[in-house]
Amino acid sequence: MKFKDLIPWGTARGSVAVKHGDNDPFTALQRQINDVFNGFFRGFDMEPFWGGGIGFNPSVNVLETDKEITVTAELPGMDEHDLDVTLTKDMLSLKGQKKAEKEDKGTNYYHMERSYGSFVRSIPLPCEVDDAKVEAEFKKGILTIKLPKSPEAVKDTKKVQIKAG
Amino acid sequence: MADTVDIEKKEAQTTDGTEHTREVKVYHPAVDIVEKEKEILLTADMPGVDDKSIDITLDKNVLTIYGKVDPNVPQQYQASYVEYGIGDYRRSFTLSEEIDRQRIEATVKNGVLKLVLPKAEAAKAKKIEVRAA
Repeated sequence: MKFKDLIPWGTARGSVAVKHGDNDPFTALQRQINDVFNGFFRGFDMEPFWGGGIGFNPSVNVLETDKEITVTAELPGMDEHDLDVTLTKDMLSLKGQKKAEKEDKGTNYYHMERSYGSFVRSIPLPCEVDDAKVEAEFKKGILTIKLPKSPEAVKDTKKVQIKAG
Repeated sequence: MADTVDIEKKEAQTTDGTEHTREVKVYHPAVDIVEKEKEILLTADMPGVDDKSIDITLDKNVLTIYGKVDPNVPQQYQASYVEYGIGDYRRSFTLSEEIDRQRIEATVKNGVLKLVLPKAEAAKAKKIEVRAA
């Protein structure tokens, strides 16, 4: 293993830190800390002063085939009007707010595992896409964005022949 | 404060000695449980699940929710980033005697399951007047 591989910020392509989902200890720790703070304010029947905005951070998958890139995000409880998707040359941004349902006074919480708040995710795209043909669909709490690769990007892939020695 | 803080999507445990019959992962959905005067509300985040793919069973005291998710991934793909696993959801809850089992209602919208568990008449809190003697 090279020394560079040990440095956590030297990873992958693009400028955005990659969250590793289920088993990344840092994400788990951050969520636990958020949960403690949110729970603290809820315990006093108050809204956190940042509006509960640090809780929700949707998970994103990016899959690539020969012709297109598919980005999916888990956004349960949101609808398409709460979402804002923007595309620049090499970056896809998802913005939105998941609102907490207002409950009446005098309710007791037994379990608080779901998270709310606003979020911004920027996803660096592995190659150029044809921005006229991008399609987004929101169904069953999952946002799916299909980004066909631009003709140049498809063409640029060259197969390198390996000669037998 | 609730003692459960694990809100990462984590895999559900199988009952001892049983195995999955399908080759899919099963996750534990994140759940909020709220008690109101007349009912208990249970909300579960289950993205990818709709009213047709959810199964709710009540066996004796155990309420089990099971949501099937269609993986729907393209063929021959290569994953650039993977932050969440795709799989079904399962979680079980033990109900106390105070729930009126006949009137449990469930709705699914945008990947969120809402269960309304009404309290039985007998279990509703009654205020007892104290008269001056």
